[in-house]
Amino acid sequence: MSDFDPGRRRFLGHLGLAGLGALGASSFLTACASSASGPAAGNGSGAVTIQSNLSSPQAKAAMEKLIANFNAQGKGTASLNTIASETFRTQLPTYLTSANPPDLYTWYAGSVANDYASRNLLLDVSDVWKSLGDYPQSLRTLSTDASGKQIFVPMNNYWWGFFYRKSNFAKWGVQEPKTWTDFLALCETLKSKGVPPIGIGLGDTPWVASAWFDYLNIRINGAQFHRELLAGKQRFDDPKVKAVFTRWREVLPYFDPKGKAYPFQEATTALLAGKTGMFLIGTFFADAAPKDALGDLDFFRFPIIDPAVPLAEEAPTDGFFASAKTANPTGTRALLTYLASTEAQEAYVKASSGIVLPANPKAKASDSPLVVKGKAMLDEAKELTQFFNRDSSDALQPTADTALTKFIDKPDRIDAILREWQAGAEKVFKG
Amino acid sequence: MTATISTTSVTPIRRRRRSARLSPLLVAFVLVPFLVESIWVFWPALQGFWFSLTRWDGMSPPAFVGTDNYVELAGDATFRGALVNTVIWLVLFGGLSVLGGFGMALVLQKERRGVGFYRAALFTPVVFSLVVTALVWRVFYQPDGIADTLLRAVGLESLIRPWLADPQTALYAVILPALWRQIGYVMVLFLAGLKAIDPALHEAARMDGANSWQRLRHVTIPQLKGVNAVVLSVIVIDSLRSFDIVWSLTKGGPYHSSELLSTYMYSTAFQSLRLGYASAIAVVIFVLALAVILGYLVRAFREEA
Repeated sequence: MSDFDPGRRRFLGHLGLAGLGALGASSFLTACASSASGPAAGNGSGAVTIQSNLSSPQAKAAMEKLIANFNAQGKGTASLNTIASETFRTQLPTYLTSANPPDLYTWYAGSVANDYASRNLLLDVSDVWKSLGDYPQSLRTLSTDASGKQIFVPMNNYWWGFFYRKSNFAKWGVQEPKTWTDFLALCETLKSKGVPPIGIGLGDTPWVASAWFDYLNIRINGAQFHRELLAGKQRFDDPKVKAVFTRWREVLPYFDPKGKAYPFQEATTALLAGKTGMFLIGTFFADAAPKDALGDLDFFRFPIIDPAVPLAEEAPTDGFFASAKTANPTGTRALLTYLASTEAQEAYVKASSGIVLPANPKAKASDSPLVVKGKAMLDEAKELTQFFNRDSSDALQPTADTALTKFIDKPDRIDAILREWQAGAEKVFKG
Repeated sequence: MTATISTTSVTPIRRRRRSARLSPLLVAFVLVPFLVESIWVFWPALQGFWFSLTRWDGMSPPAFVGTDNYVELAGDATFRGALVNTVIWLVLFGGLSVLGGFGMALVLQKERRGVGFYRAALFTPVVFSLVVTALVWRVFYQPDGIADTLLRAVGLESLIRPWLADPQTALYAVILPALWRQIGYVMVLFLAGLKAIDPALHEAARMDGANSWQRLRHVTIPQLKGVNAVVLSVIVIDSLRSFDIVWSLTKGGPYHSSELLSTYMYSTAFQSLRLGYASAIAVVIFVLALAVILGYLVRAFREEA
């Protein structure tokens, strides 16, 4: 044989590697959940650890400031642990089920929190709520689990709407639409001027399409039906759901065809550059916008389709919940009480990008016209929904992503798509 | 085979005579890695088999469901799609990287001026992490990006499409960057093999009047048999573990059109939180890898015997 001798021994070595690689594939799954090893948590009197997914620079700085303020007050000590949001999302169940979990977590209100509460993983924070008497009933209900105790403390919420540049709307000579008919007319006008009317960003961020589904469903079938659907009490192949897509189809020709290929951040750039007319998105998109463009931004509410349906808006609520296994419940509750205070919430608004509405009714939001308008829109709403994944679960979200992106590509196949969606959802509900 | 035995068997005999008992150091060298492997690899892998028979969300304790997960796999259209895509991936990614790598190695094996530059250029993509590769190719594929500009420049506007967002093209648009990287790697393996061929064999063949095609067919390729085994195992392993490039470019989308078994396993486990079902997919990946490699191994043994 030649000098280069990949004989049997060498080959067996590779076989071994191959086996391990494949074994690794399954061990990879088990390693993370079976050997739950959470980060070290504070002991009875030590610092309260707070796991935060607010990793964008401004939000992270704002959280650091809040924790520093809390520590300066001398009512306890806390340490902040900021984690990339995608890692945080996948690791959260592991944190909560580990033997020695971190104490406090940033996360979402609604069924996501209630689901953890139903597994007895969350700390009862009813005590904290005793000092939050002036919070609106809607937020209290949102923070209450099935057994009637509060398990969540809201920090702030934001809203979704059709954002546009005032200067561009003026240039094109168009106004905000109020009804669906106005909206269709607006789309037609923009299209005739050679501008793709509706921007979207589905490449990498397909969940953005869920905003369309949520809004059409709460405008046509109402928030009650929407919540039941997302909780598995209604079916996705129901004719009422199909009606949502029939409506959606009317505006499909006005969507920016490039929107399938790029993420929402680039869709934001396209909107700001006047390459699309408007964009249904949450206020967080402004993080990706240059500061000088912010003053030129405005939005309008998702047009009314059926005036008989009670007005509902998407207003995702962010906040905190704590682990039921915390070694320091007193310190954790003290920190939560501080985070819910007017002072902390105003400090957060000031330090972060500012396009959020503090949960504490006494805390002042930023006084920019955009925020004032957003607050007015939410105040007017009869019902608030969270967002697709927050009203259902992160596990149901991929089924929506598949169904909705497929619908946008192949609207003719809506019946088959809804059947597949229902089948996929049933698997998720079954577990 | 016989030659190998006669050359290697001399030393062990002599060594055995020197120390009748097993050296404790030797035992430690075998046992310590075995223990580490047991804890970090074998045990979790066995657990994976067990989890594939359960329903588990990662929070509540796993509930035994027998073969339910496998029954569900059999009727799961997304799984079938991912399986087909994995086979396409194996054939296209594997086949083209062997052809490309071998071709490049043949072209670049002779020492000429500047050949080092070309070899280095082809090998450069291997140096980048696949996630970085994905970022670069994303710029290439983006709307009005380099790919579209190139097509426009040669008058093929009609072909332009959202490459990564079109279910017709997404899988192939992801294979291309993976190939771009793999060809350089396979080329290096083949170059090493080609270098090791005794020039006297080619000399003799030339004397016998063999043309260059005959020399390639009857001298070079048979001499590369050993390298082929390495290349095959590398290709199969790399195909089945391909995940990063797909996940960073399309996440298996749009609507599962570029889904591989590995990405489907990941999204089932960590997005849908169905860890039992995901373990069943992992077991299928394991069986597939084992089947391909064992199939080759059995053949290799038979030929050597």
